[in-house]
Amino acid sequence: MNSPTLKKGKEIKLPSHVLDLTLGHNNQLYASCLDGGIYQISTVSKLLSKPYEEIARHDNFASGINWSSSQKTLVSAGYDGNLKWINPKGKEEKKETKSVKAHNFWSWQSRISPDGTKVATTTGQYLSGGYKYEPAPETEPSVKVFDIATGDLLHSFPHTPPVQSVAFSNNGKLLAAGNLMGEVILWDLEQGGKEIARIKTPDFTGWGIIKGHYYTGGVFALHFAPDDQSLYLAGMGSTTDPAAGNGKQLWQKFTWHDGVKKSGEAVKSEIGEGLMETLAFHPGGKFFLMAGRIFKGDWNAALFDHESGSRLHHQNVGFRISTSAFTPDGKLLYLGGGANQGEPDEKKEWGRVVIYQIS
Amino acid sequence: MAKSSPAPNCGSPDHNLHRRKFLQGLSAGAVSTMSWAGLFGAPAFAEIAKKKQKHCILLWLCGGPSQFETWDPKPGTITGGPFKSIPTKVPGTHFSELLPKCASIADKLAIIRSMKTKAKEHTQGINLLQRGHAPRPPFTRPTIGSVLAQQLGQLESKIPNFILLDPCPEGNEFKGFKAGNWAGWLGAEYSPVRVGGEFQIPDAHKLDSITEDDHEAREALRKFFSKKYENDRKSAAAGSWNATFERVNGLMSCSHLFDLERIPQADRERYGPGAFGQHALLARTLVEEGAPFVMVANGMPWDSHVFNHEIYQMVVPDLDNIIFQLTKDLEDRGMLEDTLVVAMGEFGRSPWINQARGRDHYPNAWSLAMAGGGVQGGALVGATDKYGAEVIEDPFNEENLFATIFSALGIDPHAEFQLDGFPTFHHVENKAAAIKQILS
Repeated sequence: MNSPTLKKGKEIKLPSHVLDLTLGHNNQLYASCLDGGIYQISTVSKLLSKPYEEIARHDNFASGINWSSSQKTLVSAGYDGNLKWINPKGKEEKKETKSVKAHNFWSWQSRISPDGTKVATTTGQYLSGGYKYEPAPETEPSVKVFDIATGDLLHSFPHTPPVQSVAFSNNGKLLAAGNLMGEVILWDLEQGGKEIARIKTPDFTGWGIIKGHYYTGGVFALHFAPDDQSLYLAGMGSTTDPAAGNGKQLWQKFTWHDGVKKSGEAVKSEIGEGLMETLAFHPGGKFFLMAGRIFKGDWNAALFDHESGSRLHHQNVGFRISTSAFTPDGKLLYLGGGANQGEPDEKKEWGRVVIYQIS
Repeated sequence: MAKSSPAPNCGSPDHNLHRRKFLQGLSAGAVSTMSWAGLFGAPAFAEIAKKKQKHCILLWLCGGPSQFETWDPKPGTITGGPFKSIPTKVPGTHFSELLPKCASIADKLAIIRSMKTKAKEHTQGINLLQRGHAPRPPFTRPTIGSVLAQQLGQLESKIPNFILLDPCPEGNEFKGFKAGNWAGWLGAEYSPVRVGGEFQIPDAHKLDSITEDDHEAREALRKFFSKKYENDRKSAAAGSWNATFERVNGLMSCSHLFDLERIPQADRERYGPGAFGQHALLARTLVEEGAPFVMVANGMPWDSHVFNHEIYQMVVPDLDNIIFQLTKDLEDRGMLEDTLVVAMGEFGRSPWINQARGRDHYPNAWSLAMAGGGVQGGALVGATDKYGAEVIEDPFNEENLFATIFSALGIDPHAEFQLDGFPTFHHVENKAAAIKQILS
C-alpha cells in the first residue's frame, strides 16, 4: 500500500478549544467547545455568513457532539453532566429539543452507536481513595447508555472513576470504556450489558514522584478495529512527573476473545512525547490516526498501519489536537483542538479546526 | 538572725508558677534577645509570663495553587475553568464549588485575594514565601518556621519547635529547597525536624543493649567534650550542633508522638486517606502536645502545568476537608484562638489554559487562606478583576503577609534580629504593614 499523506487545507478559528467534532447530514461539520458552545462550521466558503455559528450551548465545557443519521439529530454532552438533543435545522429558539441529566459530574466523553440509536457517556470525579491517592470508588454509575429516540436510560455500568473514554464496536454490539488507571471494561449490549472482558494496562497512567503523589493520564481514546476483533487504546505513556506531560505518545492494541492479550503497540522509535487524545479509523480500514499534543518529538498527528502498527505518515500540526473525524469517502480529515489561550481576551479565537486532504 | 518572712502574694495563679512551667512559658527567642537581669524587669517579665503559648500550622501548598479553583473563582468567564462557585456562610463571599466544607465555615476563615508578588519560578517563589524577603547574599534569612520556632518555642521542650511533615521526599525545586538552609542566621537549632511517610522518627530509640546508666554516662561525656570544644574554639557551628544533639535527645523521648497509629481510627478517617490529610492530622496532635510550629507539605502537587482541572478535582476537595477538619478540631479543643492555620503556596496560577490543559505560574494575583488565632474569621480582603488577571483592590506582598502572620501570633513584625557582626535585619523589613483588615 502506498503510504497516505496529509495535505493541509483550510484552517478555521473558533471561540475556544474544540473538544469534539462530528459530521452531520451532507457532511456538515459540528464542533463542541470549551466555552460550552455547539457550533455549526462552514467548511466551504459562503455556506455561512461567518466561519461558525452557535446552535446550542452547555452550561460548562461542551465535551461531546454526535450525529445520529437514523434519528436525524445531534446529541451533545457537557461538563454540566447533561446530554442535549439538537435539531440543527430548527428555528433559533427550538434547536435544542431535549435535555437529559446524565451525570452529577462531567460527561468526559460521549459516543453514538453506529446505527444511531444509542448514545454512551462517561463520568466520574477523581477523588482521593487511598494514601497514595488511588481513585475513590464511584458515587454514581460511571458509564451510561441512553436511547436517542426517547432519551431513556438503557444501561448503567459501574467502573472506577474517572472514566475518560468510551467506544461502540462497529457492529454496535459491544461497548468499551477506559479510565484513569488504565482499566478498560468491555460489555456486550446484546447480552443485557454483560461484562465480557477487562483490560488492565499500567502503561497509560503516571504516579507522580517528582512533583507530587497522585495519578494522572489514563486512557483518553478508544477505537475498535474495523473487524471488531481488537481494541485500540490511546493516551500518554507513564511518567513520574505528571506536571511535565512528558509521557510517550502511546497507542496499544488488545484482543480479548482468548483471554486479554496485548497484540500491538506504537513502535518506540516512531513516537515522541505528549498526550494523545484522539483515535480515528480511516473508512478504508487500512490505517488509523492518532493525534494530540507534542511535548518532545516531531509530530502530534500520525497515521499508523492497522496490520503492522508502523507509522505511515506524521506531522506537527502546530496546535494541540483533541478530536478528529474522517469524511465517509475517506478523502478529508478534520482535526480539532486549540492554540494557546494566552492573556484574557474576549475576542481571541483560539479554537482550531483544520481540514486535511488525504492522498 | 530572724529570717524575713516571704512577701505575701496577691493570690493570683501567676505567682504559683513552678520553675519548669515558668521556663516553659518563656519563649526561646525572648530569652535569647534579652539579658537575664532584664528578664525580671517590668514590664517584660509580666508580659512574657502571661503570654499564652501560640501555635502555627502551615499547610504548604507547594507548586502554587490555583486561585480560580479555590478562593477566587471566576465562573462563566473565559478564564474560569469548568468549576462553578458556591455561596459561603459569609454573605457575598463565594468559593470554588470544590470547597463546600470550607464554605460552611467561611465565618472562621480569613481570605486574601490580592497577593501580588514578583517571583515567577519555584525556587525564587519558595524562598520568597518561606523567608518573607528577597535574597540578600551572603546572608541567609531564616524561614518563617525557624523564626517562629525561635519566637514561640519552649526552652525545655522535648518536642521540636519546628516540625516539617512532608511524606513526599521529592518535589523538584522543593526538594532542592528542603536540602538547603532553613534556619539561616538563626543557626541549626532552629532548623526543622523533618518527618514523613512512615510517620515515625527512625533510629530514635535507645538500643536495648545499652543500659539507661550507660546511655546517660555517654551523653554526659559527649556533652562535656562538645561544650569544651565550643567554648575553646568559640564556634557557633559547634554550638548549633550541640543544640541539635539536645534536640535529638528530646526526640528520643517524644518519638511516639509521631506515630499515627496512636491516633484514633475515627480521626484518621475524618481527615481522608491521602498522605496530606494524614499528616495534617498529625500536625494537629503535635500542636496539642505543645509544638509551636508545624509545616505540612506533600511534594509539589499544586504545580498543574498539565491537567489542571483533572488534578484539581482531587487535590482541592482533599484540601477542603483538611482545612475543615483542622479548624473544627482546634475549635472543639479550645485551641483555635491560639493556633494560626495558614494555607498557601509560593504563587498562584495563570488565568489562561496552556496547550497541556494546565495553568502556569502566576504571581501577579493570587489567594491564600488563614484561620484561627489572631485573624478575623469571615474576613475577605482584596479583589481581582473579572478574569482574575490583575489585583484591583488592596495589593499585598510577601512582607505584608509576614507582618500579618507575626502580628497574629503576637510577635512584633518590625523587631530586630539580635545578630553579632551582621547588618541590622528585622523580622519584616521596610516597616511593611500587616494586613489590618484580617487581624482580630
